Amino acid sequence: MKQNKAQTPYEDYLRATHRLGRAVSMITLALLLGAPFVMGGYLGAMPNLAAAARGFLAVGLVWTVSSVVEFLVYTPMLGAGGSYLAFITGNLINMKIPCAMNARDMVGAKSGTAENEIISTLSIAASSLVTILVLALGVLLLTPLRPVLGSPALQPAFANVVPALFGAMAYKYYRKDVKLALVPLIIMAVLFTLAPSLTGSTSFMIIPSGALAIGLSYLKFRREAKA
Amino acid sequence: MTVLEQLSSGTMYLICGVIVAFVAMVCVIFMVRAWRAGKALGMDTTRMKQAVTASVTFSILPSVGILLGVIALSGSLGIPWPWLRLSVIGALHYETQVAQAAAEQLGGTLRGESMTAGAFSTIAFLMSVCIMWGMIFTTLFGKKYLARLSRGNENKAGSDKPSFGDKAMTAMFIGMVSAYLGSYIGAYISGAGAFALKGDWTPLLVALVSALSMACFTALSEKKSMRWLDSFSIAASMLLGMAAAVIAHL
Repeated sequence: MKQNKAQTPYEDYLRATHRLGRAVSMITLALLLGAPFVMGGYLGAMPNLAAAARGFLAVGLVWTVSSVVEFLVYTPMLGAGGSYLAFITGNLINMKIPCAMNARDMVGAKSGTAENEIISTLSIAASSLVTILVLALGVLLLTPLRPVLGSPALQPAFANVVPALFGAMAYKYYRKDVKLALVPLIIMAVLFTLAPSLTGSTSFMIIPSGALAIGLSYLKFRREAKA
Repeated sequence: MTVLEQLSSGTMYLICGVIVAFVAMVCVIFMVRAWRAGKALGMDTTRMKQAVTASVTFSILPSVGILLGVIALSGSLGIPWPWLRLSVIGALHYETQVAQAAAEQLGGTLRGESMTAGAFSTIAFLMSVCIMWGMIFTTLFGKKYLARLSRGNENKAGSDKPSFGDKAMTAMFIGMVSAYLGSYIGAYISGAGAFALKGDWTPLLVALVSALSMACFTALSEKKSMRWLDSFSIAASMLLGMAAAVIAHL
């Protein structure tokens, strides 16, 4: 006979979060996969599944591997609620992950704690709503905004949103452990200098760079624990 | 009515708008639940408010960058579909690449004038298929994966030793930032020929100005009277870094 263990309110919250997260993920998935067919019906031309399959083999497999890595790396950072929301709303590397890490650090929440779970969820939900709102307003104002946002003078600014983000984040994290930061930075700079074509695969280079930083951090942790 | 006009018609806005509205509702539900759970756990509401404010200010500039992605794709895919893709699930760097690959498989290019209804629906379908995996993995394995990690944390908690988890998260982030900064350095040194030092230096300049601005904001926000600055420091540093790119190209 199955025994019911006594659940704390936080465990109840987590269980309900997983249930809700799974349900809304599946609904969103059905909506996103169904939309091209609904639009195809309206436009009078359904998706060409053979061409889509060829396209998937050309680019989709790479993104599938990338999704596995993103799932393994980011889920522990974001917790349950944050993960479901982040994978539904997208823009992980360029916005959601730094945003949640920033909020977490500001509040001083430790990974794997209830506080981290709550703060990550609040942060990703707030960030997603801002994007939805900015894009909705932008789309409404697209005609008057297009000349301003599309002006050649502003293009260098918008082409460099990601460097601007990582510059600010670099200071924030490098100052926590300068010695640790120098090793992956130098190795990555040398690698990209010797093989500049890797620039197109920067999101994949996060894996060796992150693994190296975690390995070095672990060695330091062990050394300090023994001392 | 041309295909591009059809792609930006009211019906298309309606189809995409319903999905965007659904996801917005999901975000609100998760936010309210997390807020209530935080209060029930005895968390300080001021800290929770601070986390929300910081996340809002943090997200405005990248969101404007994402809006530019909508504008860029609207020339070939109309406005509603890129709007949906970049509001929900999509990623700026991913959408164009996949849309282009799908167009190539159909023997065309991602150009408004050559877009057909069939090409559009196929491109839209492939864009959905390629990026759905994160959501599927979280749905299938998220609970078990987190439970396993949590058991590891509990075992360590009993041993009274400091946890490696937080250090690993910081290290992962250092690794991630290093990969990007390394790519900017490499692109400048060898981007226009091995060791030619003639590659694009703008990302490097932007990252540097942004980092220096962050250093100034951090120093200021560490003063008690200016602690409020902490919530805006990343957004303001990014703005200064992006402004440097504009000035450098005048």
